[in-house]
Amino acid sequence: MTSRNDILARVRANLGVAAESDAAAAERRQRALATLAARSEGPRPRISGDLAQRFADKSMAMASTLARVATLAQVPSAVAAYLAGLALPSRAVCWPAFAALDWREAGLDIAARPAHGDDLVGITGCFCAIAETGTLMLASGPDTAATTSLLPETHIAIVPQSRIMPVMEAGFALLRAEQGDDLPRAVNFVSGPSRTGDIEQTIVLGAHGPYRVHLILVTGA
Amino acid sequence: MRSQAMFFQRRSGEALADARLRRNLDGLRDKFVGMRARAVSAYADHGTATVPNPDFEALRDAGAAIRDRVLKDLDVWLELFEHKATQRGARVHWAKDGREICEHVLAIARQHGITKVIKSKSMLSEEAQLNVALTAAGIEPVETDLGEYILQISGNEPPSHILAPAAHKNLDEVADLFAEKHGKPKKTEIPALTREAREVLREHFLSAGMGISGGNFLIADTGSVALVTNEGNGRMVTTLPKVHVVITGIEKIVPTLEDFATLMRLLPRSATGQEISNYVSVCTGTKGEADADGPEHTYFILVDNGRAGLVGSEFQEMLRCIRCGACMNHCPVYQTVGGHAYGWVYPGPMGSVLTSLYTGLENALDLPHAATLCNQCGVVCPVRIPLAELQRKLREKQTERRLRPWTERAALGIWAWVAQRPALYALAAKLGVRYLRWLADGQNYIKVLGLAPGWTAGRDFPAPQEGTFRELYKRRQENRT
Ligand code: SF4
Repeated sequence: MTSRNDILARVRANLGVAAESDAAAAERRQRALATLAARSEGPRPRISGDLAQRFADKSMAMASTLARVATLAQVPSAVAAYLAGLALPSRAVCWPAFAALDWREAGLDIAARPAHGDDLVGITGCFCAIAETGTLMLASGPDTAATTSLLPETHIAIVPQSRIMPVMEAGFALLRAEQGDDLPRAVNFVSGPSRTGDIEQTIVLGAHGPYRVHLILVTGA
Repeated sequence: MRSQAMFFQRRSGEALADARLRRNLDGLRDKFVGMRARAVSAYADHGTATVPNPDFEALRDAGAAIRDRVLKDLDVWLELFEHKATQRGARVHWAKDGREICEHVLAIARQHGITKVIKSKSMLSEEAQLNVALTAAGIEPVETDLGEYILQISGNEPPSHILAPAAHKNLDEVADLFAEKHGKPKKTEIPALTREAREVLREHFLSAGMGISGGNFLIADTGSVALVTNEGNGRMVTTLPKVHVVITGIEKIVPTLEDFATLMRLLPRSATGQEISNYVSVCTGTKGEADADGPEHTYFILVDNGRAGLVGSEFQEMLRCIRCGACMNHCPVYQTVGGHAYGWVYPGPMGSVLTSLYTGLENALDLPHAATLCNQCGVVCPVRIPLAELQRKLREKQTERRLRPWTERAALGIWAWVAQRPALYALAAKLGVRYLRWLADGQNYIKVLGLAPGWTAGRDFPAPQEGTFRELYKRRQENRT
């Protein structure tokens, strides 16, 4: 506690407000609260045209791959085709929201549980997606394990086209509208596979997170 | 880490003589500078010759304004953040210096019975020498940023760049190191080395009880910390262990998520030339009862360690820094001597200013002079910190406090005395020019300066071509009439 008070006292002394009146202190506090309430947005690039196309282009620029299907029911066969194409295993874990899809019909063995360290493929949805940068916005919760998009070598994300927002600010606004002002424990923005450039600034995909991120854009959802 | 900033001259001399380091640094410069330039020009596509990127310039204005707004009422913002973070279930501690950081971390570790800590990059834990304290207490710290990990197993070497800590090492050095420390056959490809490190570190991620991270930003409105990484280690550290400790400076606060979004358009472009980093995590409070994952305990350690002293001072602008590294990437001195010469946690122009201010002007005498004042750093800084101007002010302070060596002070004193006497000055200049021309002996360059041989140790001194300035000026006037 004393460190706290010492630090705040030093900051106040150096700001020249150590001896300010209660009214002056209240005014500064009010100014800060007004900044919070305003939530004013800064400059941003113009994002015009087809949001889904921009999202697709930008996500591929971040080394994701992308496939389009018309309905959610077509997702399992799209996943199966992707995995087979790269000779990846047909076992995976997924978020509970997708447990009811007919994975077996597509020849896949899918468990609806969070990922462990040795799971190789994880299938998630997303809270929404951001067109500006080709980014997935994931919100943690009981049914949206963060590990599913993190531990497996392959991350497959199902993106409903109607959930593509232009910019990060719109993602936050949507989150407030649907889940209230308090943020969930973790909001993770994911843009493509994990990477590192720490050896000779040579970019290598697959550092600690996935080696590949495959997006399945559901145009009718 | 203990500051070695007093030894800049010697250390930079050694760096200059290290051919391998010079090659590694050349590669670093070409990549970082080129990538930033491409990202910035891609952001705006309707520039003019004088203002090539008006949109990016507007973004820099907005970034600086966000940081200034917080610094102006920093006490209020700290209290607002503390209140919200606590309300969301985190504990907030405060540390005046490195010693207090270590005390807090050890107390938390003891309380939760921790034996292993996984760390995502935290410059403040470098400031505090936290790994030394953890090891002494019998707790194993594991650095998980690939660059930091390389340095840790290389005998705890200090970082040489804030984004690419192992930038001074090349592939071959890393390959030898891994073969030796991991006891596996030597790999020669970067992807294979990366996979080997991934496998070693994955075990640690899954078994550690505590994660320590820095914070790129603290968000007052939501009580959150934002972490930006490409490797995904930031996500691991904040998702898997049951305890998460965030160590950040008190200046890291931004008001809202909207402000954060604005700064996120500046940070990756300036740092690595990316439009966005792979992982941007906004973490708030602790795991909810039904949540699938996340820490059960979250702690913030808000650190002063010299920062409060800059508030309200002529150096306050330095606190805007968002640690992007652009200033060092573009600095001709950094590009030549690398990060270790600067002797403390932060290298390059931002490091010269921060080391001088945080560890004491008298302990970093050469750093404000480790600059050509070309202001490349100021031109690229995403939050418009006038780095060259701050370095010039530090030089002024050194002179005011009579910290410069007596030889330099005496020389300047003599110069001032002579400069106030025009006739004497003219004579001295004339003699000086004659002397230099005699030294040059008909050549354009002087190989060895008699009075300052150090200056010509690694370069030649250009010889004066004709007479003194006054003589040239006079001749020119005569020719006109
Ligand atoms: S001083 Fe500016 S350019 Fe340098 S690291 Fe900080 S924000 Fe980046």
